[in-house]
Amino acid sequence: MIRVLTMLLAALLTLPLAAEAQKPIKVGMPIPLSGPPALFGEPASKGAQMYVDEINAKGGVLGRKIELVIRDSKADANEAVRVARELILKENVDFLVGTLTSAEGPAVSVVAKENKIVFIAPIPKTDQLTAADKLHPYVFRVAANTTMEGRSAAEIVAKWPVTKIATIAFDYAYGQDVTKSFVDYIKKLKPSVEIVDQQWPKLGEQDYNPFINAQMAKKPEAVVSSIWGGFFVTFSKQAKALGYFDAIKYNFIGLGEAGTPETTKSMGADYPVGIWGNSYDAFYWDESSPAHREYTARISKYLKDEYPSSWAIQGYIGMQFLVEAIKKANSADSEKVSKALLGLSVDTPVGKLTIREKDHQANRGQLYGKTVKEAKYPFAIMKPVTYVDPTKFMD
Amino acid sequence: MPDPSFVFAQSISGLTAAMFLFLIASGLSLIFGVLRVLNFAHGTFYMLGAYSAYQIVRWLGTGPVSFWIAALGAALAVALLGGIVERFLFQRLYGKEELYQLLFTYALVLILGDVAKIIWGTQQKSISRPPGLTSAVHVLGATIPYYNLFIILLGPAIALGFWFALQRTRAGRFIRAAALDRETLGALGVNVSALYTGVFVLASFLGGLGGALITPMRAIVPGMDTEVIVEAFVVVVIGGLGSFWGTFLGALIYGQVLSFGILFFPRFSIFSIFALMAMVLIIRPWGLLGRPLK
Repeated sequence: MIRVLTMLLAALLTLPLAAEAQKPIKVGMPIPLSGPPALFGEPASKGAQMYVDEINAKGGVLGRKIELVIRDSKADANEAVRVARELILKENVDFLVGTLTSAEGPAVSVVAKENKIVFIAPIPKTDQLTAADKLHPYVFRVAANTTMEGRSAAEIVAKWPVTKIATIAFDYAYGQDVTKSFVDYIKKLKPSVEIVDQQWPKLGEQDYNPFINAQMAKKPEAVVSSIWGGFFVTFSKQAKALGYFDAIKYNFIGLGEAGTPETTKSMGADYPVGIWGNSYDAFYWDESSPAHREYTARISKYLKDEYPSSWAIQGYIGMQFLVEAIKKANSADSEKVSKALLGLSVDTPVGKLTIREKDHQANRGQLYGKTVKEAKYPFAIMKPVTYVDPTKFMD
Repeated sequence: MPDPSFVFAQSISGLTAAMFLFLIASGLSLIFGVLRVLNFAHGTFYMLGAYSAYQIVRWLGTGPVSFWIAALGAALAVALLGGIVERFLFQRLYGKEELYQLLFTYALVLILGDVAKIIWGTQQKSISRPPGLTSAVHVLGATIPYYNLFIILLGPAIALGFWFALQRTRAGRFIRAAALDRETLGALGVNVSALYTGVFVLASFLGGLGGALITPMRAIVPGMDTEVIVEAFVVVVIGGLGSFWGTFLGALIYGQVLSFGILFFPRFSIFSIFALMAMVLIIRPWGLLGRPLK
């Protein structure tokens, strides 16, 4: 009798442990899925989902499946915070991977800090996310940051035969930071450079005409822009109509990924071919590694698109780092995972990336190139396209 | 000292923005003047006009007249929707408190906004300029796109047509009378409820047309409804609630302030608009051409 009862008790005690092993690891992903930012946000979520599906097909991590809980942050800091809190408190997510804009990133970082949950940012670029006064043990970034992007652009523009440069950027953390880092660095590289004009439309602007006219009046020889996503589509349509690109002879670099296939595809013949742009990925990148070509084949199949998005890779890499850190920590506890992420190197489709301990920033470079019309594709591509290693720009 | 071609170019872009806003705000002003309701859903009709135009262009392809058919078709579709909304839903609220009418229009904003998302998704959409109006003319050293010119000419044309209809036609007289004293008008044997429906349909037509015509210049995106209703409201308030030419004047001023505001406040372009509204309300609370409300 006692024996039966003891065995029953033992069985009952092991039940919750067994249930614990089957419980999925939940990852919350607040990301914009509506409006102009969705052009970038929606594919990023699909990239994350593809990685999760691949891992789950191999049995998950630590014997547990991963469940990705995606929510629309509407590219608004308040909404992103609300959604992040809901994911933590109602959905009981173990980790957060997400946000897109540099307004959402720092806001959700605060929520992650309060709740001691690891937060990996795959897209927000503002330096403020990992600045010394904002850094905490639970925030990590696998995107480039504004210092890296601004300086990469400065290196490229310094080689152009121009001295009168103008900038146009959204008036928020990302636009301000990337413009400042560009201006500071190009003045170092080429002291003869003169910044003749700076325009600051508000984030979400739909009518750029006044800014375009004002900038053209100052007669710049080149422009550095960080207008991004669906907003770049609207901006360049209006700019082209006003003869803006002709006036600067297409000496224009569109930071904020104006060179991505999604942008050139969605604009078709309206795209201002001849400008420079950058992108996190390009399916047509010929000099890439076998790992990249293999990833491109998989994402193309997953998205059912022969010209797959360049944003999926950031969601993918974000999840890669999380899963590798869980494996290294042998635990899904945020404390242990946050320590495992420090100095972690992962073989991503764009090469080996490492999150450095100093500021939890990965050395994620981007592809830069001048856009051309190629007969092979129904939209413009960057050619030649070069991966700019940001390590020398990271101080 | 800014050079003249820049001032000219900037004022043209201000005029273009003004004429779009006038198209939309005139509908809002009309509904307020006659029905005495601030129709929040007017911005939604504008958005639905844009989406409908996009849809019709998708169906018709990019022929030489498909854009114009789409614009007219979209405006008519939105007018029809306005008529249905007014006749079957709004009319039941006329006897009730004005608060209910306001809440109803707000509910429409939410419901129709979601319907638009369900039908067309959340990604932004875009239409190219119609063939024939794709290039630009060079005047005084500035590049003026033909489409902008078209809008700048259309605005006053519609304003004049409107004004003529209001002043010279029988229906126009009834509309003006209804704005002043609806009970007496009803007592005189005029079918006031049909008049109301007609006004709502006309206003919705204008809102939908504004939305359709703006598509080659801006993105069609969720959220465009709430953004435009605030702008239209500012225009109507500056010009004077219920005053037709006030709306036209308000739109003109708004457009120029928007254009040149960035020269004085480069980092606060939206601030200049609200500063203007505050100034007008302090000096003349009933708007520039309005009359004090009873």
